[in-house]
Formats: sequence, C-alpha cells, structure tokens
Amino acid sequence: MGFDLKLAIFKPALKFAMERSGHGAALGFKLTRVGRGEVEMTFPYKKEVIGNPITGVVHGGVIVSLLDTCCGCAAITVLERRAITPTMDLRLDYMQPAEPNKPIYVSAKVYRNTTNVIFCRGSAWQEDEDNPIAHCVATFMKVDAEGMRFTDILRRRISRLFNSSKKSSVEKLEETQ
Amino acid sequence: MNQSSSDNKLDQSQISKSIIAARQAKKPQMILDLIPYSSFIGAQAKVESESVIYWLERRASNIGNPSLPAIHGGVIGGFLELSAAIEILYVLDVIAVPKVVDFSLDYLRPGRYKTIYANCTVLRQGKKLVNVSATAWQDDPARPIATARCHFLLP
Repeated sequence: MGFDLKLAIFKPALKFAMERSGHGAALGFKLTRVGRGEVEMTFPYKKEVIGNPITGVVHGGVIVSLLDTCCGCAAITVLERRAITPTMDLRLDYMQPAEPNKPIYVSAKVYRNTTNVIFCRGSAWQEDEDNPIAHCVATFMKVDAEGMRFTDILRRRISRLFNSSKKSSVEKLEETQ
Repeated sequence: MNQSSSDNKLDQSQISKSIIAARQAKKPQMILDLIPYSSFIGAQAKVESESVIYWLERRASNIGNPSLPAIHGGVIGGFLELSAAIEILYVLDVIAVPKVVDFSLDYLRPGRYKTIYANCTVLRQGKKLVNVSATAWQDDPARPIATARCHFLLP
C-alpha cells in the first residue's frame, strides 16, 4: 500500500478528538494503532468504573463504550468523502468476565464497506487475543456532510446564541434522522 | 453514604442488605449507589407510578461528539445496560449482581446534550436466564433515541 498521507494527517486528529475530550477523556483509553479500517485501543483498569462491587470487575457499559468507540474510529478511516458515521446498531456478546486490575485491549476491523453502510466487528481481551472477554458487531450509516465544516458549526452556534429561527445543515440532518 | 469512593470491596451480605432495604424504602437509587460505574456516568433512578424511571443528566464527560454536541453512544449503551441490571435487582427476587451475557443496541436518533430517560421491562425470567428490554428517550417517550435488549445470567 505504501505511505498513506491522508491517514498520516488524520491519525493525530482522530487520536486527539477521541482521547482528549468528553467521554474518551473521562475513561482514559489510548488509541494505539490507527490503520485504514483497523483500530486498536488500550484501556487501563480504573476503580471509578467498577460494575460489580464484590469482585471489582469493570461494568459492561465500559466495554460497550470501548467497542463502540473503536468500531466507530475504524469506520471513519474507510470514508472516501466528508461524512459522519452514526452507529445504527451494536451487538455485544460477553464471553467471560474481565479480570480486575488488568488493562483491556480492544481492536476493531471494518469487514465490509458499502455505499451507505459500514460493517464492523471488534473484540476486547486481556491476556490472550484468541480468548476474548467480549466480541461485537456494529453497523454504521454513512451520512454525507459536505457542508459540515468548522465554519458551519460556528455559524450554528452563533445562530443558537441569538435564538434565530434559521437552522444549519447539521440541525436539518439531525431532524431528518 | 457513598461506598463507591471506598477502596474496600463489599461482600455479598452487605449487597443483599442494601438491595432489600432499597426495595422496602422504594428507592432504587440505593442499589445504583452500590455500583461505582453509575456515579461515573451519573445515572439516577426513582419510582414513578409503580415503575422505575432511570435518568442521566447531561454532563461534559459523557459527550461523544464535541462538535454537535451529542452524548457518546457507548454511554447510552452503558446506561441502558446498567438500568436493565438494576431493574432485575429491584423488581425480581434476586440479590446477586446478574451477569450480562449479551447486549444488543439500536440507535434510533442522536442523543442530544440533555437529560436521557429510560425504562426497562423484564420480558422473561427463567431459572437461569432473564431477558430485559430497555428504551431511552429525551423529550418524548414516543420518540425513543435508542432501544436495547439484553440477556442476564442469574448466579
């Protein structure tokens, strides 16, 4: 394949967006590999997200967030035009409970990329990749966002500030969904 | 009384005692307080007209897409999975934390940066397996933002 310039520019931006803001920052995971259609992440154990107070095992919701993020990132890497990729559905199978005090590794792969839908699968493991704690399949919609540039978002924020009735492309898009 | 901040793990008898107390006091929030993850995302619960309603107030650490801004899809999933587990502990005669086996989530509308509500229904309870469905909405219960179904194994 050779050197992928677009991906090389995109990778730090994706890493920054996922690790430094919102829920990604709260969870504290790291994107360890970003390839075209393939993403890997590491999540260190955290006491704040325990789901079973007897055993200290992390809550299943954390695995949902990790796999959703990882699959979502993998989906973004295969886009050939400016678009957003909302999750349509996500199905998770929990094969065995995670062990406390150990990091969780997550990987996701796009296995089919069609005109409108991206099909992804992902898995989460601790010691052995072939013996995962959870496996998931997720589908993502491709929604064109040609007009969704930074300036559009800014304009939308300003219009909201002035309580204007004008709506931007982003809001129209949200309403039609 | 926030046990989640304590480093000491709880034992089964403490859990059982809190769950039974929560049922008697009709305060599902007491069960949520046992689980550190619930305060991490900010999930809350109360009894409203004989059923339990769960909600998640907006907070910056739950944002997934900062440019919209929208609630992280994983948070919606985690919140519904948590609600389903609490529903089992509160409604059924179960006192051990159920194990989730599978979880399926359909995203119907974007989760906007405001409070998310959820309710759960136990569709089937067997000796070992429980099937729970959960629905999340924001403004109007008739316009859900996500639905989930999950299977739990009873220990």
